[in-house]
Amino acid sequence: MSVQIDPERTEIKYLRRSADFTGRRVLEIGCGDGRLTWRYAKSAKRVTGIDLLGDDLRVATIDRPSDLEQKVRFARADSIHMPFAKESFDIAILAWSF
Amino acid sequence: MVHALNEIRRVLVAGGILIDLRPVLDKWPIEVASKGENREVGRATDLPEPLADDEAANQAMAETSQKGWLLREHEQVFPFFYYWDTPKEMQEYLDETWDDVIRIEEDLWHRLSSLWATADADALVRIRLKMSIATWRKVNFD
Repeated sequence: MSVQIDPERTEIKYLRRSADFTGRRVLEIGCGDGRLTWRYAKSAKRVTGIDLLGDDLRVATIDRPSDLEQKVRFARADSIHMPFAKESFDIAILAWSF
Repeated sequence: MVHALNEIRRVLVAGGILIDLRPVLDKWPIEVASKGENREVGRATDLPEPLADDEAANQAMAETSQKGWLLREHEQVFPFFYYWDTPKEMQEYLDETWDDVIRIEEDLWHRLSSLWATADADALVRIRLKMSIATWRKVNFD
């Protein structure tokens, strides 16, 4: 079963219009397998992706490009009790969440 | 949901940005797409529970705004496509992953298969999601 998701890359165009990620600390809530993460992470200073689904996080970790290993981290956490200090991020993305 | 938004507000710096990016149910069109043209065959049926989830999310964002935690700056909608080579692949995917979100009537599958079978050789099938992207800024007080 093959599926192409957003081959037009419309999502990242609108995401980039919404905020400048350059040098920013980004929290992505509902990062899943990292599909969206890889599309903006290079310009960010640091990206933390959280999700409740361990299988998706494993895929994200495996798929993480080598040049993003130091910049992008994943954690299994929910959005109600996040294991982060106050004022740790410049941008938060609620990615297909709720 | 409001608890989650308050937690997001906690971890954002003053003036930080929350981007709320999510699909919104709206009887998403099912289409046959080829280089020559795109043809809508019908529309998916929205299921009640995710529709209620959409409404709850909207209410949570509105409540957050009323509390003065976050201020809405910008909102847009845009199309977002999933493509498959065949109607069968599309049906398998949707049955496996979205059976609790939308329903495609049997008659629509038949019409999609017929139209796809008679379309150009490069024709794909796709679903057009309605995506919403809204930008909120953390209010600078504590």
